[in-house]
Amino acid sequence: MLHRALAPARLRAWLLQTVTWPLAVLMSLPGAGVGGAPALQLQALAPGVFVHIGQQLALDAPGHDDIANIGFIVGTRCIAVIDTGGSVRVGRALLAAIRQISPLPICYVINTHVHVDHVLGNAAFVLEHPKFVGHAALAAALANSRDFFLQQYPEDLDQPPSAVQIIAPDIAVASTLQLDLGGRRLSLKAWPLAHTDCDLTVLDTSSGTLWTGDLLFRDRLPAVDGSASGWLTVLDGLARLRVARVVPGHGPIAGDLPLALQPERRYLRALIDGVHDELARGDSMQQAIVQVAAVEQPRWLLWDGTHARNVARVYEQMEWQ
Amino acid sequence: MHAHSVSQPVSQPWPQARVAVLACLLLGFGGEASAISDGQTPSSGAWEYLQRQFYPDRSLGVLDENFMSLEAPANTPDPAATPLTLHFGTAAVGHIRQIRIIIDNNPSPVAATFDLPSGARVAELGLRVRIDRFTSVRAIAETTDGRFEMRSAWVNASGGCSAPPSTLAAGTLGEIRFRPSPDARSMLISIRHPNNSGFQIDPRSGEPIAAHYVSHMRFSSAGQTLLEADTGISLSENPTLRIGSDQPLPAPIAMEIIDSADAHFTGSWNGAVASNVATSTAAGAGGTR
Repeated sequence: MLHRALAPARLRAWLLQTVTWPLAVLMSLPGAGVGGAPALQLQALAPGVFVHIGQQLALDAPGHDDIANIGFIVGTRCIAVIDTGGSVRVGRALLAAIRQISPLPICYVINTHVHVDHVLGNAAFVLEHPKFVGHAALAAALANSRDFFLQQYPEDLDQPPSAVQIIAPDIAVASTLQLDLGGRRLSLKAWPLAHTDCDLTVLDTSSGTLWTGDLLFRDRLPAVDGSASGWLTVLDGLARLRVARVVPGHGPIAGDLPLALQPERRYLRALIDGVHDELARGDSMQQAIVQVAAVEQPRWLLWDGTHARNVARVYEQMEWQ
Repeated sequence: MHAHSVSQPVSQPWPQARVAVLACLLLGFGGEASAISDGQTPSSGAWEYLQRQFYPDRSLGVLDENFMSLEAPANTPDPAATPLTLHFGTAAVGHIRQIRIIIDNNPSPVAATFDLPSGARVAELGLRVRIDRFTSVRAIAETTDGRFEMRSAWVNASGGCSAPPSTLAAGTLGEIRFRPSPDARSMLISIRHPNNSGFQIDPRSGEPIAAHYVSHMRFSSAGQTLLEADTGISLSENPTLRIGSDQPLPAPIAMEIIDSADAHFTGSWNGAVASNVATSTAAGAGGTR
């Protein structure tokens, strides 16, 4: 089926592995991929490292299943997929794009966390027989989200929507894990409570490419679904990594990691400090939503809704600290 | 049991019958409301039923925003803890007898009933509620001269009643925190209580969680009761109450609470300079038996 090797694809894969690439070569791959599914547009970041940049859209907007940065890394033996998009359709388009690049087996599908825009495409990869990989807390988080996904995003699953399409990890990462793709090693790290309770990063040690998942939002307002203060601590840990480039969960690729973390750090700090001051004055949650970090609004996309939820969450948490 | 608390058992517990009656009312409304309200529009179903129950043949004024206004988010930041604030204008302060908060499409629509003693100068009331699905939220005030005023808002939210307990639900049951405003005219009160709705599932065991909620509150300032409230399962986890006045609220501020398991809790704030002074104690379930 999809494993069928196509000569041009094989040639292209060889080129990708051997030719020295300039950074961020844009590759447009329109038209039908293998199996008839349209292929996602990819950006090649380094030899064997490909990303599809998601659109900056709201979670209920048309096209909401294609908002996360997703991609894959090609070794000499096999391929690892990193996040699968917000629908089985997008997952299939990612698979089609992979098959335009390489016929190698997909040995791992890694999910950086539980959110719908990163995991609902998993089902598209089942017939490739990969090992699904995630944070040790991902399985429980998916179990808690399953009903919500089925109720809110039935159109993003194959019809009829079913819980079996929401696929939990086979391999749970409690702290760190090394994955060998042949000729290159991925270094996975599970982080404590931050954006969510199941954030996982992937570092391709060959190219120095760090996939942060949603531990890094660029341009799009970060959504706090875990702990803002925990997230700041995790950002300190991330900033110590030496990497050549960063693939954020949302927004453009960055070269300088500490620099790329700064806007998010500034927002989270403003959020925490602002809520702290609101509580010290005995202000209501509604006052806090209006007043906290208001200066940040023009600096971010998709502020409305997300900021209010962030303030509410941090307010509820800090009430009892 | 709570080393840092000032023990202050409630000396005059409210009649037990009152709590029991309230629970029956809540359950009764729950059944009726959900039977009636399927597919309703903002002004039909549960509300029409409740209006007949509580306000038969009453005209509900809705005109003057300066007299009273209801602040509610059109899109809630948290369906399980949607903030609502009622503001009372100069003409209303000191002239309100009762305020009822009704969430039309909740399984238990009557979220809270506040009773104000004569002359209580309440200018603002804030609380956080569970919203089960898209709904009208209403505040109906009865004035001391027998008039009724209603304000309503439409809130987009779903799943607030069945949202699983958060990790924040843990902690010392019945702990009460006080946060006064700098001008001392308002007080934010946070109550540590799971306020389980009865519609939640324990995500670990898959078992339903029994309803366990704050059923009554009494707030006083310098020994004078400023309000009492009958409350139910529509209050959020860790309920909050924010009370504002048009004049400083003199210390000591005291809060007395009864929950649906008949546990009594009290907390007080003595006007210490440092904010966030919290004292509370649990008389414990069955403490009055």
